[in-house]
Amino acid sequence: MNAMFEPFVDVVPSFFGTLSQGPLTLTIFLHTVIILPMFWIYKQEKARLEQEGN
Amino acid sequence: MANSYLTSESKKLATWYFTVAATLFGAQLLFGLVAAIQYVIPGFLFEILDFSVARMLHINALVVWMVFAMFGAVYWLLPDETGIETVGIEVGKLLFWVFTAAVTVVVLVYLFIQVGPADATSIWFIHEGREYIEAPRWADIGITVVALGFVANLFMTGMKGNRSGIVTVLMADMIAFAGLYLTGMFYTDNITVDQFWWWWVIHLWVEATWEVYVGAIAAYGLITMIGAHRKVVEMWLWIEVTMLFGSGILGMGHHYFWIGTPEYWWEIGALFSALEPLPLVAMFIHVLYDWGKMQGEESAKGLDRSVITNKPAFTWFVLNAFGNFLGAGIWGFFHTLPQVNLYTHGTQFTSAHGHLAFFGAYATILIGMMYIAVQGKNGIKILNNSTSTIFATSMIVGGVVGMTVALTVAGYSDVIISRAQMGATWAGYFDAQATTWLTQGMVWRLIMGVITFVGFFFLAKDLLTIGKSNIHVR
Amino acid sequence: MAKKSVWSDNRFWQRTAAWITGFASVLLIWLTFDTSAQISMGNDSDLKSGVTKRVPGPTVINYKITYEMNKKRQHEIPVIGGMNAEGTSAFQEKEKFFGRDDWSEEEATELLHLGKLGSQVKNCMNCHTLLGNGAYYAPDLTKAWLDPAWGPTGPMQALTGKSTKEEAMAEFLQNPSQYPTHARMMPNLGITAEEAKGLVAFLKHMSSIDTNGFPRNFGKIQGAVNGK
Repeated sequence: MNAMFEPFVDVVPSFFGTLSQGPLTLTIFLHTVIILPMFWIYKQEKARLEQEGN
Repeated sequence: MANSYLTSESKKLATWYFTVAATLFGAQLLFGLVAAIQYVIPGFLFEILDFSVARMLHINALVVWMVFAMFGAVYWLLPDETGIETVGIEVGKLLFWVFTAAVTVVVLVYLFIQVGPADATSIWFIHEGREYIEAPRWADIGITVVALGFVANLFMTGMKGNRSGIVTVLMADMIAFAGLYLTGMFYTDNITVDQFWWWWVIHLWVEATWEVYVGAIAAYGLITMIGAHRKVVEMWLWIEVTMLFGSGILGMGHHYFWIGTPEYWWEIGALFSALEPLPLVAMFIHVLYDWGKMQGEESAKGLDRSVITNKPAFTWFVLNAFGNFLGAGIWGFFHTLPQVNLYTHGTQFTSAHGHLAFFGAYATILIGMMYIAVQGKNGIKILNNSTSTIFATSMIVGGVVGMTVALTVAGYSDVIISRAQMGATWAGYFDAQATTWLTQGMVWRLIMGVITFVGFFFLAKDLLTIGKSNIHVR
Repeated sequence: MAKKSVWSDNRFWQRTAAWITGFASVLLIWLTFDTSAQISMGNDSDLKSGVTKRVPGPTVINYKITYEMNKKRQHEIPVIGGMNAEGTSAFQEKEKFFGRDDWSEEEATELLHLGKLGSQVKNCMNCHTLLGNGAYYAPDLTKAWLDPAWGPTGPMQALTGKSTKEEAMAEFLQNPSQYPTHARMMPNLGITAEEAKGLVAFLKHMSSIDTNGFPRNFGKIQGAVNGK
């Protein structure tokens, strides 16, 4: 388990530095929070299109 | 102008912008040629027009001609998109003259004053010495005023007339474009802070707002030149905006690997910028797909003729789709990951990428817009290629691709010898400069540069005369 | 009735574009605040009390600076004033800069200001790279202060007839075309003695900036592997 989490290596700890816990953790987190709301937009638009289709 | 078919003042103003843009394009190539000669013959114009001055002129002329052509293209398409004459066109014309006069003064100062004492006066009146945005502070303020005036015209026209998807994207994009320039105007003693904000201008221009601009122009071009369906084109445009800004804004991290900024930028820069080629692939597919689709519709009607109403412009638009992907996408991805960039950062590799990316992503489509203006100005239904078109296109494209290959080869020794083996010292740098790959690469770059330069004269001749030719359908 | 797909719907993509652009911008601004706090310039008391800053204060010119492999971060870092047990800056060992190692905060700030301003006015960046950014016509200056060429074993002190690194650099900057090191020469830019001093201070300060290990292996290898 220890090998999964790397000790903080940057000069000063910071929020983003803390999220950066080894390969790609920070960037995958950011990509995820950017992409997730698309599902919500998708659902809304789908509902709208279905309504218009009636 | 006499015998002009243009009734729109906005379009007339566009042709002025294009004329200055094309002239500055020539200046860019001329000073690039001087710098290229200096790599091969180091004593050339030594202490008369040094490399630093020639290069400053080379890259500033590049940025400025593109901004001129970008403004011009917007003034050109606004009446078509909004259905009305551009609001505030008289102010627009005044700002054009202010901009042109300011650029002329700046160029003359660069050329004849070149360098001053290390004080604030030099920053205000000679240049700021920050690559790409060297313009002295008085000109910075002037450029901001001109850009805001341009954005105001765009907004007023967009809000008064029909606001199409293309115009909406341009409005959002151009306000960011103008606003970002402000982040590059202040002075600081902290070079890390300096470069941090410097990239806000350079990166968020060329890898975000300018790319979105290109998406909008490509959309306009497809509608006007091959009659692509607006709904489809605008859907693609929104997809491109999503992908371009989604990857490009945080992709800025790839400039923050080594300038003193925290290590977390390695991750952010690596993955976001690695996705930057995706929208460029999308744009490439989109242009070629639409072309095939429209041609197919034509064939289905049993009509055996091309759907393209402007052959030279469409050629440049297709070259844009390909060049953007190749120059900005592939050549950029080559060295965007930190483990590679540790060695390639600040080498001829970067230079190779810079040449093909600026040309492929921006020069191509803006030249295409110039041909669209030639067509409109001369009231031509179908603009065909002239012999000069063929010479201009093949020499310029061949020349720039040749320069890119030469610089890439030169970049190998820069990266391997100077960076990887020698650790980037003074001695290591010059050891790399002396290698066969680098010296021959520089000779080939010069040869290819000359070809590009000759191609420019064909282009200038073609833009000036093709409208009068009788090879077109009127 | 054929159902329309959301994936080919303009409004869906318009909203997605707006969301992604807006959110990425917010993240960038947030990151900018975080980074700005970390790259703000330190001061003299940071150096005296042993606080490591990514960009140290101007009085760093009073200290000895080296560039050492750090085990924890696994790349090279600038080490200021000698190394401590953890392999980072000890902020102890001083080094004379133009004969003095007691430049006050005010003097050092003024010198750095002159140097940074000079680096822009003299257009260094359109031949050299600084922190790797600029033109590729001349060597990178990020760690130029630590370049062995200017050290006691390098050729530049003998060439310029000076006995310290800073004096050799200042002399070269004032009369670059008198000391050709290569067919490609640096032109005379009218750099005064004071400006040269400032520029050298700027270079020394820049070498103390933590660049996450760029350039790698700087000055560690002497003599190229022949690539000709």
